Amino acid sequence: MKFSRFPLLPALLALSLSACQTLNSPTVGKGISYGDSKAVETVSTDLGSTDIQTTSEKMTQSLLQTPLLQDIIRKRGLLMASPVENKTSEYFDTKLITDTVLSHLQKNGVRYVIAGDEMQNQVDELRRQNQSGLYKKSSAAKVGNMQGAQYRLDGSVSSITKRGSGVKDVYYKINMRLIEIESGIVEWSDEKEIRKVLNY
Amino acid sequence: MKQMILTFSLGLACLGAALPVYSDDGGSIASKVEELGRMDYLKVADLRAVRRDGLLRVQATISNSSPANQQLHYRFRWLDNDGFTVWEEEPWKPELVYGKQDKVLNVTAPTFKATDFKLELQSPNNSTSAENPGNVADKPPYR
Repeated sequence: MKFSRFPLLPALLALSLSACQTLNSPTVGKGISYGDSKAVETVSTDLGSTDIQTTSEKMTQSLLQTPLLQDIIRKRGLLMASPVENKTSEYFDTKLITDTVLSHLQKNGVRYVIAGDEMQNQVDELRRQNQSGLYKKSSAAKVGNMQGAQYRLDGSVSSITKRGSGVKDVYYKINMRLIEIESGIVEWSDEKEIRKVLNY
Repeated sequence: MKQMILTFSLGLACLGAALPVYSDDGGSIASKVEELGRMDYLKVADLRAVRRDGLLRVQATISNSSPANQQLHYRFRWLDNDGFTVWEEEPWKPELVYGKQDKVLNVTAPTFKATDFKLELQSPNNSTSAENPGNVADKPPYR
């Protein structure tokens, strides 16, 4: 036989041919796949990714059109945001809306200062640098130099749920406002309405 | 055929200057619209863009030729003068268009950098077209 002097050659040839027929993806595991994070999510009537994304988008676009916000960008003014209040009966992290709006605004030149839960981390770090004795005084961030915002962003999510024979209707209303902190004047507000219907 | 108008008035609106207007029988609209598959019932009947206060604003009228309600999914791609995207991929947005309705979509660019756009459209009632096999959608953008 021609291959008798190389008994492993036919096996290697077959193995290399079979390897050419299937292309393995660079993945590990089975049963889980990555979906499109921008797809329209219709898994349930609860607030979902599409609602958060479209609401944040609408609020950002509406804010950017406001002459006041364009003025804030020009004059390097400062914003802060209180978390969007969840007035619905369902649980979801409304901070997602606030964070996305702030992120989109910052990409357009808006500066904002931290507030709320994040404040504790900021205070901790300032204390660590100034009171622990571990840092050079010349390089430590000084206490008393934090800047206050002139405007505050806040908002709320409310919902009305109705059930009939074979139908569940959920109406969401998301409201956001831009308030001048010193005067308390609401300088801008907008809302987004969402209706989700489940027929069963 | 209903005359389709694409109006661009970039950069000059805030100055109150005369604006360039382009109108034709659909060629300009076609260059701005990307349909995933061929939409049988929904058509972009009118498309206008204007730059106001530094932001590109787009108004699209979607016409439903069917007596039945049609589901539409759409999103914009924001571009600069060189055709580069200047904003992250937008989420698909659902919109219900009633039978025989002309639905107006008003959108403002999310960034001052946007000077041009593409409108992506998808309807679950799309049909696939052999003439355009590279742009065929077999699934709606549902999750």
